[in-house]
Amino acid sequence: MKRFWKRAGVSFVVPAVAVGVLAGCGEAPEEPDTDDDQASGEAEEEPDDTEDDDDDTEEEFDEDWEPEQDVEYIAPADAGGGWDTLIRQTADVIESEDLAPVNFAPQNIPGSGGAVGWAEVAGHDGEPQPLFAASPPIILVPLTETSEYDHTDFTPVANLITDYSVVLVEPDSEFESINDVFEAIEDDPGSVSIAGGSAAGSMDHISIAGAADEYGLDAADVNYIPFSGGGEAMTQLLGGHVDVVSTGVGEAMGQMESGELRPIAYSADEPMEEMEELGAETYIEQDVDYTFDIWRGIMGPPNMPESAVAYYEDMYAEMLETEAWEDVQDNQGWLNNYQDSEEFGEFLDDQYDLFENVLTEVGIQEEE
Amino acid sequence: MNAWESLMYGFSVALQPEALMFVFIGVVAGTVIGMLPGLGPISALALMIPVTYGMDPTVGLILMAGVYYGAVFGGSTSSILLNAPGIAGTVATSFDGYPLAKQGKAGKALALAAYASFIGGTVSIIGLMLVAPLLSNVAVAFGPSEYFALMVFGLTAVVSLSDKSLVKGLIAAVFGVMVSLVGMDLQTGTARFTFGNVNLLDGIDFLVVALGIFALGEVFVLLMKKAGSMQQNSLGSLKLSKQEVRDIGPPIGRSSILGFFTGVLPGAGATIGSFLGYSMEKRIAKDGDTFGKGNVKGVAAPEAANNAASGGSFVPLLTLGVPGSGTTAVLLGALLVMGITPGPLMLEDRPDVFWGVIASMYIGNIVLLILNLPLIPFIAKILNLPRALLLPLIIVFCMIGVYGISFNTFDLFLVLFFGLIGFLMRRYGFPAAPLILAMILGAIMEENMRQALQISGGDWTVFTDSNISLVLLILAVLSLIGPLVPRMLRMIKRS
Repeated sequence: MKRFWKRAGVSFVVPAVAVGVLAGCGEAPEEPDTDDDQASGEAEEEPDDTEDDDDDTEEEFDEDWEPEQDVEYIAPADAGGGWDTLIRQTADVIESEDLAPVNFAPQNIPGSGGAVGWAEVAGHDGEPQPLFAASPPIILVPLTETSEYDHTDFTPVANLITDYSVVLVEPDSEFESINDVFEAIEDDPGSVSIAGGSAAGSMDHISIAGAADEYGLDAADVNYIPFSGGGEAMTQLLGGHVDVVSTGVGEAMGQMESGELRPIAYSADEPMEEMEELGAETYIEQDVDYTFDIWRGIMGPPNMPESAVAYYEDMYAEMLETEAWEDVQDNQGWLNNYQDSEEFGEFLDDQYDLFENVLTEVGIQEEE
Repeated sequence: MNAWESLMYGFSVALQPEALMFVFIGVVAGTVIGMLPGLGPISALALMIPVTYGMDPTVGLILMAGVYYGAVFGGSTSSILLNAPGIAGTVATSFDGYPLAKQGKAGKALALAAYASFIGGTVSIIGLMLVAPLLSNVAVAFGPSEYFALMVFGLTAVVSLSDKSLVKGLIAAVFGVMVSLVGMDLQTGTARFTFGNVNLLDGIDFLVVALGIFALGEVFVLLMKKAGSMQQNSLGSLKLSKQEVRDIGPPIGRSSILGFFTGVLPGAGATIGSFLGYSMEKRIAKDGDTFGKGNVKGVAAPEAANNAASGGSFVPLLTLGVPGSGTTAVLLGALLVMGITPGPLMLEDRPDVFWGVIASMYIGNIVLLILNLPLIPFIAKILNLPRALLLPLIIVFCMIGVYGISFNTFDLFLVLFFGLIGFLMRRYGFPAAPLILAMILGAIMEENMRQALQISGGDWTVFTDSNISLVLLILAVLSLIGPLVPRMLRMIKRS
């Protein structure tokens, strides 16, 4: 009942919201060909079972499974952010390339760094949807104990793309390499002010604290100053208020290309052409054996039916091969980083261990 | 291409039928959305993202700019008519706009807001066009210590916003700061004052407090009054007398410039601009004591300032590629989705986008004025509704507005709670304005103070080392002790 109200609220409350909903529909119009697909497909099973019966999590694997209803496709954040972009871009490609018989309907559920959206998804235990966009915060936010649910509560569907973190300085900064920065910290702990666009203990902090840890520093000596957003952090650096900025490569591309800010290290495992042109080296090239992925993937509710997981992981694998997706990639500067459900799950567990370790070092996660 | 040719080129982009149509649609949609209490430019723009999706970037951005203007203007309507500000930037408008509406001068207040917005908007576009590249330096000159000083200076406005009792004003301000501290602390990632409640982790949204204290508080007060005692509100004339035009000219001019510069500063924006404009005019006006009771200057100043600030907030976005406000952050996201990276290179890479947008702002402003002036009598009709309909309607709008931000029912109880507080404050003579001001500025002040101290390694001289922050702090001290000086001189003379 509660859920009903929530849904109903979204669609009729405000005319303005209705505009958004309508727009969402306009973007992905109802396709009459759903019927054709059904007709040509198989009619062996009654797929409605999976929708209505929450207890029935052990239904048989059906390799011809297809979604019957429009897929609720959630960005657990406001419109315009990274998760939102992923959801909207993928929904668009899925529709234009006709990869699924139903619509993927983007929806924003912002709040508590994702926790509100996750709680919504967690309520669909055993169902084949909703699907949502995930990235390192799904591990970091629960680690700082601000979400009831963590990554193990959800079903990994597929990892899609990755971005890397980058360390920036002013063009005439004395720091020429990441080692210069770390040496300065070693000489005088806390003397180098490092700004980032996310809260302490979140992505931008962990990415540089982890590198410092690998270099042999005490991660707690990294004087990290959080600002709300990578843009604000870069403004601080442009104004000379801080010494270094840690943010995502994609977010900083504009400032790097214009030469306003200079990258001194980025966290990819292999050198990237674009970054080489800007004269930047990876951590590994500078003898700091460290990589950090700002990955973005798709996850689903707890105990998602296996047949649905198999369907969606194949669909996403197919999506990454399309030309429409290549255009999106070029526009956004995203790198494909496909992992199927199983690999993605293992990767998430590894990430959890890594982040927990770093958070303990910087003193945010208390040792248990 | 010099600036003039570029602008002409921009007009050639913005005057294409398609672009014109979208400016118009944007302004109308923005005005309507902005009029609903609780839905401001951020929500309006967020709603537009899916619409612009797949559009030509120039047209998309033109639509967005129209929506932005419309929403900023629409917000003042609900502030004036219902005492229910839709966004932080229009709170100050309600201080004098609502009293004017209560006196049966709603038409005048709305017309005033439209004129002041138009002038403020136009000043800021001219500023944006002429000095945007120069101002990018100003935008980055403000680091944490400068912001802290600016917030301290802004907070001194509490003195002029507390009507009779300074003590009560200060109590309200302290309460505002307390409310602003609830939620996740950005610096340490720790939850503060949430009492273990997940719903408080994101903090208490400004709008929940504003709608509760202003709109619901007012509704409760009206409910307590006997039905017969409330006079029927009339629209009144839209015309301004010559004297009034002369009165509001200078405040609009000053506030437009002030608003533009605060808008340029990332993070400061329309709210601080409008509050500073309001308290500046209150201080220098000869009839300063009538502010808050329906002074036309009290509507003109904040309206000019907040519209000028929305133009100013495009400076860091277009020249540096960094968003200067929550609203431009949404815009930045939309631009990235369209495959455009704003920044210093944008002027070279996509002059059509840059100049098209600037030209569309001119057009949007004019559309806004000619669209809204004739509509005022219709909009203001809402005041003619019988009280038995109007009051429930205000409550419904507040609830929709609040629910529309978070989609969380917890906030609905929270807004009721603040409504009750607003009622009690009115009952016992506590001014509401200092509370709202302190709530908006308090959190920014605290955050910047801690960022500054973390950068300096705990050294407090960081606040006096920078000239900007030193000057601002001195101004703050002066504005606090300034009013005391004559009194102290008198005391010295007497003894």
